[in-house]
Amino acid sequence: METTNNPAGSPPDNNLVWAILCTVLCCLPLGIVAIIKSTKVKELWLQGDHEGAQKAADDAKKYSLWGAGIGLLFVILYVILVFVIGVAGGF
Amino acid sequence: MDSKKFLNLTLIAVLLGGISIFYFNYNPTQHSFFIPCPFKFTTGYHCPGCGSQRAIHQLLHGDVISAFRFNPLMVLSLPLIFYGMGIKVKNYLYNTQSRVQFFYSKLFIYSYFGIAILYWIIRNIPYAPFTYLAPNGV
Repeated sequence: METTNNPAGSPPDNNLVWAILCTVLCCLPLGIVAIIKSTKVKELWLQGDHEGAQKAADDAKKYSLWGAGIGLLFVILYVILVFVIGVAGGF
Repeated sequence: MDSKKFLNLTLIAVLLGGISIFYFNYNPTQHSFFIPCPFKFTTGYHCPGCGSQRAIHQLLHGDVISAFRFNPLMVLSLPLIFYGMGIKVKNYLYNTQSRVQFFYSKLFIYSYFGIAILYWIIRNIPYAPFTYLAPNGV
């Protein structure tokens, strides 16, 4: 219905689903950078710039992963602060 | 389908299953060991993701209405996430190149994220009816 299965003509996966997941779960500004990169994928692909399209898709994934990484870093910091050091009044 | 891919997916499924059991058994409103949202923790304001953990607990118990009260955007986004991830898993397993067409539509992308940013702002306005968008307990 909403999908195509055409190996020759498919643009690279723009990884938008990761950006959505980032928004509703950890919500970090990097998700927005990922979205902007995502919108470029098809545009570049249609212009015939296949390398550029692939790069934009890879960048979108990279920023989503960075967002998730920073989220994870916060989780680790929080665990250290609250559970190990015992900073009171966390949540 | 090769066995390595199958094993990887099995590992992810086991991990997700474990997380689900955890969220099913513990209600974030009653236990303090849940990790708060970094944005909420540092600024005191709600972000578009705030309430998601509490909503997941309610969803796992089949209570869609309570989940919706905690985070309507997350609940409404779930079908998109499941669909997008399903296509990704299919591509991974069968080496296909299927794409979700509307994920490439600028109208869809800017609408979705425009709504997310608007939602971010208005769920922090402390007056009705905006307060209905903030994470609300039962």
